[in-house]
Amino acid sequence: MFDPKVLRRDFPILTREVKGKPLVYLDSAATSQKPREVLLAEKEYYEQHNANVHRGAHTLGDEATQLLAKARQTVARFVGVREGEVIFVRNTTEALNLVAYTWGLDNLKQGDTMVTTVMEHHSNLVPWQEVARRTGAKVEVVGVTSEGLLDLAEYQQKLTLAPKLVAFGHVSNALGTINPVKKMTKMAHKAGAVVVVDGAQAVPHMGVKVNQIGCDFYAFSGHKMLGPMGIGVLVGRREILDPMSPFLTGGGMINEVTRENSTWADLPDKFEAGTPNVAGAVGLASAIDYLERLGMEEVRGHDKQIVEYALQEFYKVRNLVILGPKDANYRSGSVSFEYQGVHAHDVATILDSEGVAVRSGHHCTMPLHKSMGITASVRASFNVYTTKEDIKKLVEALQKVKTVFGK
Amino acid sequence: MDLYREDVLDHYEHPRNQGELTGEGVESARDSNASCGDMVQFYLKIKKGRIEEVKWKGIGCAITTAAASKLSEYLRGRTLQEIRKMSEEDLLSKGIGFTVNPGRMKCLMLPVAVVRKVLGN
Repeated sequence: MFDPKVLRRDFPILTREVKGKPLVYLDSAATSQKPREVLLAEKEYYEQHNANVHRGAHTLGDEATQLLAKARQTVARFVGVREGEVIFVRNTTEALNLVAYTWGLDNLKQGDTMVTTVMEHHSNLVPWQEVARRTGAKVEVVGVTSEGLLDLAEYQQKLTLAPKLVAFGHVSNALGTINPVKKMTKMAHKAGAVVVVDGAQAVPHMGVKVNQIGCDFYAFSGHKMLGPMGIGVLVGRREILDPMSPFLTGGGMINEVTRENSTWADLPDKFEAGTPNVAGAVGLASAIDYLERLGMEEVRGHDKQIVEYALQEFYKVRNLVILGPKDANYRSGSVSFEYQGVHAHDVATILDSEGVAVRSGHHCTMPLHKSMGITASVRASFNVYTTKEDIKKLVEALQKVKTVFGK
Repeated sequence: MDLYREDVLDHYEHPRNQGELTGEGVESARDSNASCGDMVQFYLKIKKGRIEEVKWKGIGCAITTAAASKLSEYLRGRTLQEIRKMSEEDLLSKGIGFTVNPGRMKCLMLPVAVVRKVLGN
């Protein structure tokens, strides 16, 4: 296994100080930090190859086009799909909206059902609510068990409503729960639904092969997996993407345009209107190279170790109520908690004064927090550079909360 | 600046003027920050254009609680005219008297927004 202490040297930002103290970055589920080589890959693209893609017979244009194609190949190989099935978007939110505004609006109508879960990030709930509002379809929401796992019995029961679309997250950004996506996909397909998976919190931490999961759509963001902001991916099965209407229209996504009508380009161009984020794609491919050198099994091994350690240390702190499953085998990426008697924002502000960066609030999961009867929580989240020392420093900093508030 | 300086913490742990007001001349309004679950309600008893009595209730973080507490002390005895003339910035600097980093401004602003709502501006 790689040594995160050595690997940290690859991440320039981790050497900076906050409030006069060394930065302890525990907000990687919001966005990960980037290794130097990702930053250099983007820089090199702009310094050496920048030109617009798919047009003009000049050398730079060709190089940029090839770099974009190569980035797409890298992504496709990484998640186990064909190149034409990788659509570059800005982020997971845009990927899910693409599905909502194309497949969703084209296929749902009054009286139809969609199924999602209470542990979704708002980006995998609100787009379906919008589809419902516009079409008259309705959204059914599956709850979680007291252990913080998805309620599979309720899921099975909702599937008897014959939903046309089922959407769920691979890993919960607030509970850290890993959902049994392969099994859930099989169940939903049996019920006749199209399956959309939000993989934003899974792809950074474990080897994800979308072809093995078998879902119809799978969305993730580059910036949570050591890549740059502004580049994300929607993976879609060719058979379902081919007949779909485009999302955005205009340049780059057409075949032929007359005064009256247009025909669409082949996949994936049909879904990539306008100038793409080539530098972002290059940066994402570089991040994937970095992760693959570490090995995704090792990455998951480290993730599990850190989650396990965080659970163990947090359980020792009085006043902490830990959210989500107790067993690290069912968790990835983060551990959220409620500090009883002190508001999450106050905890986070005090931790920040000790150089410790965490997320506080509802983490874009308001329905989940409401279902647990709390308004806000504190989330410590991890990536490959997270060390046990980071967790120790967080626990030490929690002492200051006790000192300040006497709780 | 240390956010959790002593007087701020004192107002958080011992909030002033908590409670409710009813009866003639009492104006009230509430607001909440849905994103963090904080809620604040202010009651102002107004007589002859002057704020004679102030009470407030709510749930919130230390910042919101201390800000509401300090603001309630500031408002008592002042005229409506005087408070209505004050901008949000004035209410923050004079009425609350401590500041926070940009990420926590919403916490500080909640009581200010509620008071402005009571006064109809």
